[in-house]
Amino acid sequence: MKLAVLSCIHGNLEALETVLGDIDGQHCDRIVCLGDLVGYGPYPNEVVDRVRSLNIPTVQGCWDEDIVEGLNACECSYPSQLAERRGLQAHQWTNEVVRPDVRDYLGQLPLTWKEGNLSFVHGSPNSQHEYLMPQLDGFIALERVLSAEADVLFCGHTHIPYVRSLEDGSIELRVSGPDAISQPEQQLTTSLKRIINAGSVGEPRHGRPNATYVIYDTETENADLREVPYDYRKTCAAIVEKGLPKIFAWRLSRGWEFAERADDPTHLCQR
Amino acid sequence: MIWTTTNHWAILSGIEGNLAAYEAVLKDIRRQRIPVDALYILGDVVGLHPDCEALVERLRSPKAGEPVPQICTGWWEEQYFNLHGVGGDPEAQALREAYGDDVLEKLWNNLSRESVEWLRSLDFGFLELDCLLIHGSTVSPSDELTPNTPPTVLLDRLLCAQANQLFCGRSGLAFECHLASGAIGSQVTTLDDHTTPVSQTLTPRKVIGVGSLSRHRDRATYTLYSPHTNRLQFRTVTPTRTPVARGFG
Repeated sequence: MKLAVLSCIHGNLEALETVLGDIDGQHCDRIVCLGDLVGYGPYPNEVVDRVRSLNIPTVQGCWDEDIVEGLNACECSYPSQLAERRGLQAHQWTNEVVRPDVRDYLGQLPLTWKEGNLSFVHGSPNSQHEYLMPQLDGFIALERVLSAEADVLFCGHTHIPYVRSLEDGSIELRVSGPDAISQPEQQLTTSLKRIINAGSVGEPRHGRPNATYVIYDTETENADLREVPYDYRKTCAAIVEKGLPKIFAWRLSRGWEFAERADDPTHLCQR
Repeated sequence: MIWTTTNHWAILSGIEGNLAAYEAVLKDIRRQRIPVDALYILGDVVGLHPDCEALVERLRSPKAGEPVPQICTGWWEEQYFNLHGVGGDPEAQALREAYGDDVLEKLWNNLSRESVEWLRSLDFGFLELDCLLIHGSTVSPSDELTPNTPPTVLLDRLLCAQANQLFCGRSGLAFECHLASGAIGSQVTTLDDHTTPVSQTLTPRKVIGVGSLSRHRDRATYTLYSPHTNRLQFRTVTPTRTPVARGFG
């Protein structure tokens, strides 16, 4: 089965439609969405309507939560103070335009979606606000996959797609002390685990303006990182026309955002 | 040798208002051949015991010659904060689920507002040398690490805190989990790059449960630690039984 995994659409309908066309062309059997349907982009209601019309299983992203629970639902919602200032402007605009039924839909989205040995989350199994960066410590990355009870963990949130293979994990544990009720020596070994980041459909940050997503083949276990050109100028024009900050059009046209460089390079959620 | 201002630590948790148990541990600490010069209390200084107010007063006023206790907040402190409207769970849901609704009034009458305010001034945890001393973990005071916690979770809590040793008290258990060795291979593929596979090995680290002063009625367990030698010792003392009848209500 060919599975298309999307994330971080961010109200960019033009990018979404182009990616859906690409998915058709690649003959995918199913689609799963990793959340962040709204925020930054000019068409939050339309994007939600389109995802709902296709019955795409979708998990809740950090923006989806924030638009329901209030800005910065988690204290680590933004990786830097600059990102937070810009996020505040996008949040206020989005909060004013989303329809009540859209807000209700975003509020009821699950945090995780499971299909066999595949687990789907927005940020990490800990929180939709936690960033699983590709350079994250290997043992912490392994813990996130294991805590999802999966062999393959799909995530988004960073807006930069990657596939990370974690092989031959092992930990030797020795337990002692008055209340050491478990085996005195344990050896944990793990088979191949993977984290697959789907990138971003509507707010890419890999250095080019093209939309990104991933196609995963459940039989071959091959992950194909897809990069799809679309007419980002249309979205940029709509951003300006609807009164969103022009910086969002500028960064969309470049596929890059300085403010998303984290003040804390590990950027692990403590929620 | 690296010289620090303190050489011999006593680390305890879970007094839960049991003043007799705390006095018994202080007595045992005074008996140590190598003097204890740092006293860490990893939360749960208060609880359901009616002596909570007296215990707080004792902690705030150590006797001459006693190390001034360095105290962080724990699960029970969080419950008192919730009851007084300054916690993250104003409905005290976790407390009700664990102990029922009747406990709310008991706790309300157990501690003065001034003492609650003092508890609020306490730290969340301590980073000392390469050690994290905390009630649960950096995730939350409720995070309960035990000998049965998966090794990957123990390691995650250590790595996230950038500590080699994590002393915790949430479980009330006295144990040492030594993550002795480990390895993992990792490779990242992006749109533009295939990185060379990287092999990472584990620097030995430990999670230590420091025991509890009130988990068992007839014994209190705490931990002695020498940072210079890395020597760890679990101590068990028997508190003097005192009648516990008075309340504040």
